[in-house]
Amino acid sequence: MRNGGDNRGRLLLISLIVTSLFLITLDLRGVQVIDGLRSGSQTALSPVQSVAATVFRPVGNFFSDITRLGRTRGEIEKLTADNEKLRQSLINRTIADAELLELKSVLDLAGIAKYRVVAAKVISLGSTSSFAQTISIDAGTNDGVKENMTVITGLGLVGVVKKSYPNSALVQLASDSAFRVGARVAGSQQIGILSGQGTSKAVLQLLDNQTTLKVGDVILARGSQGNRPFVPGVPIGEVTSVDNTAGAVTQTADVKLFANFSTLSVVAVVVGSPKSDPRDALVPKGPIPIPVPTVTIYATPSGSPKP
Amino acid sequence: MFARRFLISFPIFAIVYLIQESIVSQFRIFGGGVSLFLIFALLWSALGTPELGALTGFGAGLLMDLSQTTSGPMGQWTLIMILAGFSISYLGYGDDNFRGNPISLVVIVAIAVPLTRLAYLIIGLMFGSELGSILQIFISLVSSALWTVAVVPLLMPFVTRIHSALFEAESRG
Repeated sequence: MRNGGDNRGRLLLISLIVTSLFLITLDLRGVQVIDGLRSGSQTALSPVQSVAATVFRPVGNFFSDITRLGRTRGEIEKLTADNEKLRQSLINRTIADAELLELKSVLDLAGIAKYRVVAAKVISLGSTSSFAQTISIDAGTNDGVKENMTVITGLGLVGVVKKSYPNSALVQLASDSAFRVGARVAGSQQIGILSGQGTSKAVLQLLDNQTTLKVGDVILARGSQGNRPFVPGVPIGEVTSVDNTAGAVTQTADVKLFANFSTLSVVAVVVGSPKSDPRDALVPKGPIPIPVPTVTIYATPSGSPKP
Repeated sequence: MFARRFLISFPIFAIVYLIQESIVSQFRIFGGGVSLFLIFALLWSALGTPELGALTGFGAGLLMDLSQTTSGPMGQWTLIMILAGFSISYLGYGDDNFRGNPISLVVIVAIAVPLTRLAYLIIGLMFGSELGSILQIFISLVSSALWTVAVVPLLMPFVTRIHSALFEAESRG
């Protein structure tokens, strides 16, 4: 040791080292005073640290971002891609939920009537250049779908299979102006022919001029021979207005079709039907009337005023 | 006289410690950040006698041990800093060419900082601390040396002036 190598210096160094070793020993033996020193210093420092954090953390974050610039950019790109994927999956999930709901309702309908059905997704809404109202579905002859089979949704009749391919089929919608179906009125069992009009409404012409129709009557498919093209009992629509023109040979009525053709996504093709006619079992249940509370007020005459 | 001047330097260390714990610790920069207090303590030690270096190391080490972020037992930093302070001051003691040359001071402190941290790591292993990733430790040690090279020239004018104002008479004596 050069100039610092005197005994005093050595003694100081040794005593400091011994002190530090003493501190270590005390700490390792779990002496409370040592722990108290550290926690006490932290207690004193923490208010200053919290103020400094408020003031300097944005600056610190700025420097941190600079040093992590490449990684941050990569992270942003990754998060953007993840976000896009999640958004897409959310949309898909929403679509799937809607389809599931439709499928559930169509299966419920088919279950009541004991129809054997093949579920199918609508893959195309037909040609916009022609006037025919059709849809394409993703089920075809490979799935047992043949021409002249009834197509339904949870709400009722959609149409009839016009062409069948191995993996797809073309369905003529009930709203098509060339569409005709034998129909009957639920309850009264009057029969007639329902014709599409190119809109969400169709026209029902009764065959018997002795019967009468009224607004709100539910129209069902009458069924064809051998259940093709139409199975019996499928709900078609509801009478919205009746033509009571004097001198008319038969009564006609406007029918609002149950199926919503603009939002079709899942349908079912009836590939088999029970031998028995479900009759009116598929008539949609009307809305449950909400009871209106009634309040009775009893007027009690007050005593006659005294003069 | 020596003890009085040493005690006067304590508030300076306390201020630097406060800056380190409250402000510098807010910055998350490359390689685990920079320890302003460690650099300051070693630079201060490098400017004094070995006794002063050892005492400076003792005081600085005690403050570092009080930090909540310290994982080792109380006294570990004290022990390391006594040895580091004594060693760094012993190296340049009596050689005015060394102390008068700012580049020498930058280099010696830049070497001392990672070595001190390495010594702390090794002693910590003896006390049962976890080692962690070797690569991360290497990056942290190298970057601490680089940060020291960047910070010491900024600190040096203040430290040398304050140090000489406090200890010039003692050094001459």
